Amino acid sequence: MDARRDIPLVITFLVGVIAVMDYYTTFSAVKETFTVIKNWGVVLNAFALGLGAVNLFRVHGRRISERKRSDWPFSAWLLLMLVIFVLVGLGTGQFDASDQYQWIYNALYLPIGATMYASLCFYMSYGAYKILRARNLDSFLLFVTAIFVVLGNTPLFPALFPPFFHIREWIFKAVVGGAYRGIRIGVGIGAVVLGIRTLIGMETGYLGRR
Amino acid sequence: MSAWEKLTALPREIVLGLVLIAMILPTLKPLGLPLMVGTMAKDWYDTVDALPSGSVVLFDIGFGSGGYPSLGPATIAALHQMFEKDLKIILMATALEGSMMYPLIMNKVKPEENYGAVYGEDYVFLGYIAGGQTAMAGVLGDLHAIVSTEYTGKPIDQIPLLKGVEGAEDISLVAYITTSGDTSEGWVYQAYSAYGKDVVGGMLSMMTTSMKPYYDSGQLKGLLDGVKGAADMEFLTRHPGDAIKSSDVLSFSQTLVLIFIIVGNISYWGVKTSEKEGR
Amino acid sequence: MPVSSDPLIWIAAFYTIAATSYAFRDNILFKFSENTYIGAAAGHAIVMGIKNIRDYGWAHIMKGEMIYWVVFVLGVMLYFRFHRQYYWLYRYPIAFLVGNGVGISIRAAIHSDFIKQIIETAKPLTGATAFDTFNNIIIFIGVITALSHFIFTYEGMHKGTLGWMPKVGRWMILLALGASFGNTIMTRFGQYQGRILFLLRDWLGIVA
Repeated sequence: MDARRDIPLVITFLVGVIAVMDYYTTFSAVKETFTVIKNWGVVLNAFALGLGAVNLFRVHGRRISERKRSDWPFSAWLLLMLVIFVLVGLGTGQFDASDQYQWIYNALYLPIGATMYASLCFYMSYGAYKILRARNLDSFLLFVTAIFVVLGNTPLFPALFPPFFHIREWIFKAVVGGAYRGIRIGVGIGAVVLGIRTLIGMETGYLGRR
Repeated sequence: MSAWEKLTALPREIVLGLVLIAMILPTLKPLGLPLMVGTMAKDWYDTVDALPSGSVVLFDIGFGSGGYPSLGPATIAALHQMFEKDLKIILMATALEGSMMYPLIMNKVKPEENYGAVYGEDYVFLGYIAGGQTAMAGVLGDLHAIVSTEYTGKPIDQIPLLKGVEGAEDISLVAYITTSGDTSEGWVYQAYSAYGKDVVGGMLSMMTTSMKPYYDSGQLKGLLDGVKGAADMEFLTRHPGDAIKSSDVLSFSQTLVLIFIIVGNISYWGVKTSEKEGR
Repeated sequence: MPVSSDPLIWIAAFYTIAATSYAFRDNILFKFSENTYIGAAAGHAIVMGIKNIRDYGWAHIMKGEMIYWVVFVLGVMLYFRFHRQYYWLYRYPIAFLVGNGVGISIRAAIHSDFIKQIIETAKPLTGATAFDTFNNIIIFIGVITALSHFIFTYEGMHKGTLGWMPKVGRWMILLALGASFGNTIMTRFGQYQGRILFLLRDWLGIVA
C-alpha cells in the first residue's frame, strides 16, 4: 500500500461511507462516530482557513524582498493589513466579538467588500448597452425574459401597469420552475455520480500532483 | 460612423456616470412608489407567522460584507417578525464574515429595547462555525456535542435557551439568508432532507432561479428574493427600512438599463439593415 | 443631518469611493483598496480559524477527549502542501475533508435533487383552474425537455424523431437563464444602492 496515495483514498472512502450510513441507518455506533467526524470536519476546515494567508506571505514576501516590481509597497501594505487584523483579533482575546476588531472590520473590510461586489452593476449596465443584442432566436429568447423580469422587478413599471408584475411572477412559476427543475435533476445526478466516483477512488484530482 | 453606430458610441465614463446619477437622484428625492408583494416572500412570512409563540428557530447569517446591502435588510425584517412572534432564536453564521454582520443587524433590530428580549433566554448567537454543510449537520445532529461556547465565549451550559435544545428534534424552523449557493443547498439537504424540518431561505436575487425547484417542491417553505424579498418583508412586517428605500433606486437605475438595452438593439438592427441595403 | 465626524465613517467612505473608481478606470486608489481588502480578508480568515480551533477543537481536549489531538496533527499536516518533499502529507487531511464533504452532500442530494423533484413532476397536470393546468403543462414540458438536453450518451436524443425535445429544452433553458440575468441586474443595483445610502446618509448626512 502506497502511503502517499492509497491511504488518503481509504480515508476518503471510510469517512464518506460513514457519512452516508449515518443518513440511512440508525446504528448508534455510526451516529457517534459521525458526530466525531463532523467535529473534526469543523476543526480541519478551521485549520484550512490559514492556507490562503500562508500563500499570501510566500508570494508577497518574495515581492517585497526582491523589490523588482514597482508595486511592491502594495504587497507590504497587504501584509501589514493582514498582520493588523490578526493582532487586533487575537490581542483582545475576544476575537471577532471585541469592539476594536469590529471597528477595523467596519472601517477597512466592510466598505471595500460591499462595494467590490456591488460595483458590478456598472459593468452590467455597460454590457447591456454594448453587448446584449437579440441577434438570433437563442439570444432573443434570453433577451425577452430578461426584459420582462427587469420590467417586473422595477417598481415603477408595475406601479404604472400591474400586469408587468404578474408576468414576472408567471415567468418564475412556469418557465423558471420547469427548466430549472430539469437542470436541478441533471445536476443532482451528476453530483451523486461524481461523489460516488470520488468515494471509490475513481476521481483523484483532489490529491493534487503525483 | 453612421447615425446608428453613433447611438452606441457613448464613452464608458458617460454611461457609468448616468448610472451613478440614476442611483443618487432617487435617494435624494424618493418617489415612494407602491410595492407589490411576491408570493415567495409572503410564504416566508406566513410560515413564520404560523409558528406558536416560544417555538425554536435556527437562523443562519450566511453572508458577509458583499451581501449586506441587500440581505442585511432582509435579515433585519425577518428578525423583527420573529421577535414580535416571541420565538426563541438560535443564530449562527456559516459565512466567514457572518459573525461581523451580527452586531450590525442587532443594532438595527434592538431586541432588548423593542421586544424586551433577553440574550441567552430569548435568543443567542453561536458565532461562525467553519465547515459549511458539516457545521449544519453538526448543529442539527447534536448541538451540545459540537458547540461548547457561544459567540462571546460563554459556555453554552450557562445559556438557558440552549438547555432544552439538543438538536433538530427541538427546532421548529430553520431559516437562513445567504450569498452562497452551497449554503443554500446545504440547508435544504441537511435540515429538510435529513431531518424533515421546515426551511425558509433568503438569498441574492441571482440565486433565486436555481433555488426555485426546492421552493416548488415544498423543500423551502418560503423564499426571500434578494433586495425585492427584503422590501416585501419590510412591507409585510411593517418595518420599512433600506430595502424599501432601494425601490426608487431600482426604478431609476433599471429603467436606465432598459433604455441602454433598447438603444443598443435599435442601433444593432439599424446597422444591419443599412448594411443590407448598401449591398 | 451634519456631515459625519466619525473617523470610521470617513475611512469607510474613502474606501467605498476608491473601490468604485475601478469601474471608471484602473488607478492607484483602487489598487490601494484592493490590497487592503485582500490583506484584511486573509487576516480575518486566520482570526476566525483560530477561534474555531479553540472552540471546536481545543475545548474538547480541555474536557479530556484526547482523541482530538489527532485532528490537530491532521490540521498541521495541511500546511505540508507548501513543502517540496513532504507535500503528500497534506493529502491525509484533504482526503478526510473530501470524504466528509462528499458523503454529507450526496446522501441528501439523492432525496432533494432527484426523488423530490421527480415526485413533484409526476403529478396530475390538471389544476384547479384552466390557467393552473396550462402552467402545469409548461412546467412538465420544461422539466422533460430541459433534462433531455443533457442526455449525451444516447445519440438518437439529439436527432431524428426525438430531436425536437432537446431543442425545446434549449429554448426553455435560455428563457430561464434570461430570468436569471434579469434578477442579476437587480442584485447588483440593490447592492450598490446600499453604498449610495451609506455615502449620502451616514457620511454626508444629506438624506435621512
